[in-house]
Amino acid sequence: MADFALLHRPALADAKSGSFGAPSTVKRITLAALPEGHVLHVLAARGSGDLQGLIPRIGDGTPHAARPYGPGQWFVIGDAPLSSAEIFGKTPILDGKASISDQGHGRVRIGINGAAVETVLAKGTAVDLALSNFPVGHSAMTLIGHISALLSRTGKESFELLVLRGFAESLWDELIQMSLEFGVDAHTGK
Amino acid sequence: MASLIACPHCGPRPKEEFTVRGDAGITRPAPDAGEDAWYAYVYLRDNPRGRHREHWHHTSGCRRWLVVERDTMTHTIYTVADASAEGETA
Ligand SMILES: [Zn+2]
Repeated sequence: MADFALLHRPALADAKSGSFGAPSTVKRITLAALPEGHVLHVLAARGSGDLQGLIPRIGDGTPHAARPYGPGQWFVIGDAPLSSAEIFGKTPILDGKASISDQGHGRVRIGINGAAVETVLAKGTAVDLALSNFPVGHSAMTLIGHISALLSRTGKESFELLVLRGFAESLWDELIQMSLEFGVDAHTGK
Repeated sequence: MASLIACPHCGPRPKEEFTVRGDAGITRPAPDAGEDAWYAYVYLRDNPRGRHREHWHHTSGCRRWLVVERDTMTHTIYTVADASAEGETA
């Protein structure tokens, strides 16, 4: 029981919002602060084998909810906030093969899309973002400039970034900067 | 320093994503091995010219410990393997 109520303030509530850069309409980039629903960190137990089929079952059923980024490591994300009881209620599904840690307080999601999205993100990461190498549903933990983020492809021209809350606004500002040549509309949801 | 490390889990990534721990070949002494053995284990390192096996941590990627064999003079990377693979760690 907490001694005082914690206020939830969206990490990007006061970030830059509006249209920036070139007036182009063809390759325009859209940035969106996504709902701070749930972010679950899932770690496999030693020697638990292949869990790729199991982990999506603790997700909310939407595509790309379970995002693998290394051996036995996933983030499972969704738009709905979950109570600790609801999160704890998911542990029987994993049958001791993996454990869940709530990271909803620690990481937030940014959506980025547009025809030039690969070019924009390639300014920050060395990961090969070509659709043939980085198909829809693929995820990679990487550095965007100096900021660590989980990059996930959610569509041909759309990605999501999962970033530590305290770095979210810096990354947001950098993504705007990286998108200026194509023009960018940044929506913080305010 | 090598520029690109081919992580077995993530593919080629720039060295900025990694943290180097150093020599992968040293073995932790027994608790009662004595002060000299422990001093050497904690502080003393060779500074080899040529092939060298080191622990690298993919800090900003998959967060796995890797064993990287590289040439300290030419920057050539010979092998990269997960440190938990059999025979990779003493
Ligand atoms: Zn890696």
